[in-house]
Amino acid sequence: MQPVTLQNVVDSLVDNTLDMSLPFFRPELALCATIVILLFVRIFKGGEYIPSFFIAILGSITALILAFPAEGFESWATMPRQELFTGMLVYDTLTAFIRIFLLSFVVLFIILSRLTGIADAKDGQDYYALVLGATLGMCIMSSANHMMMLFMGVEMASVPSYVLAGIVKGRQRSSEAALKYVIYGAGTAGVMLYGISLLTGVLGSAHLPTMAASLADLDIPNLLTTAEGRLTVMVLVLGGLMLGVGLAFKLSAVPFHFWCPDVFEGASAEVDAFLSVASKAAALVLLLRVGAGLGLTTAELPVADSADPPRVIAVAANETTAPTQNAVLVKQVADSQDATHVGGGPLSPVRRFFVILVSLIAIVSCTFGNLAAYGQTNIKRMLAYSTIAHAGFMMMAVAAAIALAGRDVVDARTAVSALLLYITLYLFMNLSAFAIVAFLRNEMHSEDIADYAGLIRTSPLTAVMMTAVLVSLIGLPPLAGFWPKLRVLQALYMAGGPLMTFVLVAAALNTAIALVYYLRVAKTMCIDPEPDTRGAVSLGFLPAAFVFVVSVPVLIFGILPGPLANWTDLAVSQLFS
Amino acid sequence: MFNFPLANLLSEPVGVAHYVTVGAILFICGALCMATKRNALGVLMGIELVLNGANLNFVAFGSQYLRNDGHSLGLDGQLMALFVIVLAAAEAAVALAIALNFYNNHDSIDVDRADQLRG
Repeated sequence: MQPVTLQNVVDSLVDNTLDMSLPFFRPELALCATIVILLFVRIFKGGEYIPSFFIAILGSITALILAFPAEGFESWATMPRQELFTGMLVYDTLTAFIRIFLLSFVVLFIILSRLTGIADAKDGQDYYALVLGATLGMCIMSSANHMMMLFMGVEMASVPSYVLAGIVKGRQRSSEAALKYVIYGAGTAGVMLYGISLLTGVLGSAHLPTMAASLADLDIPNLLTTAEGRLTVMVLVLGGLMLGVGLAFKLSAVPFHFWCPDVFEGASAEVDAFLSVASKAAALVLLLRVGAGLGLTTAELPVADSADPPRVIAVAANETTAPTQNAVLVKQVADSQDATHVGGGPLSPVRRFFVILVSLIAIVSCTFGNLAAYGQTNIKRMLAYSTIAHAGFMMMAVAAAIALAGRDVVDARTAVSALLLYITLYLFMNLSAFAIVAFLRNEMHSEDIADYAGLIRTSPLTAVMMTAVLVSLIGLPPLAGFWPKLRVLQALYMAGGPLMTFVLVAAALNTAIALVYYLRVAKTMCIDPEPDTRGAVSLGFLPAAFVFVVSVPVLIFGILPGPLANWTDLAVSQLFS
Repeated sequence: MFNFPLANLLSEPVGVAHYVTVGAILFICGALCMATKRNALGVLMGIELVLNGANLNFVAFGSQYLRNDGHSLGLDGQLMALFVIVLAAAEAAVALAIALNFYNNHDSIDVDRADQLRG
């Protein structure tokens, strides 16, 4: 091994960044370049004649193309886990999948913003720059491998979202939504940062795998027998809970959900689509990363047992050792006395803590969201509560994945695959629901459910598509929403144990509760008589085409979920190894 | 005999514990400020205090002079503090712009006036 001199460290850092990390970071770089071009193009002569929509859509499509794997999706089956920028980010199949997901969503979202006219000629560049900036933050969130990137990703995704919530000027409700969002968001981010400082201080590192190794070294069951050890564990639990506050805010999980209905009602429907699909997806993947990062150790990762700076070890490890395949220290011995069935190993207390916390919050979010959606008269507010309920349902898949990861890696991958399938289909369902709400708002100037009465007579395509999307959100069999719910329930069943069985029962009951309020909207649209006062409602060709394109996958994947399920299975084939 | 963990801070030489205590006090002041202030700017000041409490922790945990047992955060701690300062500035800029927008629409900066959205 080379001696550690400044020259060597700088050389290896430069090589590592230029040769290894930056090629994997191209989609994010494309997003950065697009933002810069968007903001600076008006400085140059004639720049103001270039519509910002074209720059934004070109940039996001370029990023999407760069995100596709060069050797085809089959290469995911053998793609190893790699750490970029000396352990700051992680590049694995999950990163690759979620990046394609986020960038595809952004392409569709930019088209939607153009069609609904929310980004007009004057504000367009700011609007698109904010959307692309938030997307960049979400990409970083979903590939974070270091507490600093976790915090930066959350902030980079949140700060543009605050502005987006209040982008419509001169409306009291819009400015109120933005104020509520920024105050809740900044407050929870501060609490999360304090929690991170406690965790990193006790564990002596901010790099997730190194933190997991330190946690394993601490030997928590032994620590609990001494008074001083109990204090250490208390600080760790406190730090973990505070970190959970920030994540729960991003997920709009129940104790920190207050902002969600208010922001969704006050912000425009397009921004709601962005917050409910992209932001939730990135937060769920981040939750999974935190759970897997702190709850599982891997053998190839640097162990913080020497006095050398851990960063340099990480560089050396990346250069010299190829990541091994079966590196997880899986103890197959499941403790039969353990209610959570999280498997054995030195980190089982961490996993048990994570699984209990996440599953309880998931049950409460799911039930609360579904019950609170009943009395709503505003469609955006109802969809906000529906988003809370769906986030709860998806968190159950994360809990199942972490519970299974300690015992059986293959089963854990199935749970993550269920989560990814859910996220992907949720994109089509929620994007088309909010797109319909936005287009109808442009036509009718109303977002009340009561004003949608008898819509099937004046605008049959819209009403049929909306009904299909709502039925799919319930999770009824002929439509796409059924499959991810079924697979999440299947993953919960595989996880076993009293806690997961309880979660399973709660999830199944919630699907039944959700039936009523979605169908109420469908009934209003399709059965109720039309009010006399309303004129003809027609969306126009391009909006109708957009709604059709986004909601048809809900029908297609309902009948043929195979290709999509195979793709998500491929995306998790190297996870937890 | 119950031994209060902070009791011997005053007699010891300055170490990580002292800095972390100041950080904790900053955090609690900030959290109280966030919870009790009705003026949006006061709430934002509370948030700044919370962020700075965390920052103090990062710098203390990262300092090799305070803690040299191989469990120090090292440069990571100081870099995180720097990044947090930048992010806090960005967040404050956005939050103040949103507060100004709220003021323009409501002629008040009282968070209790933000009560149109409910249910």
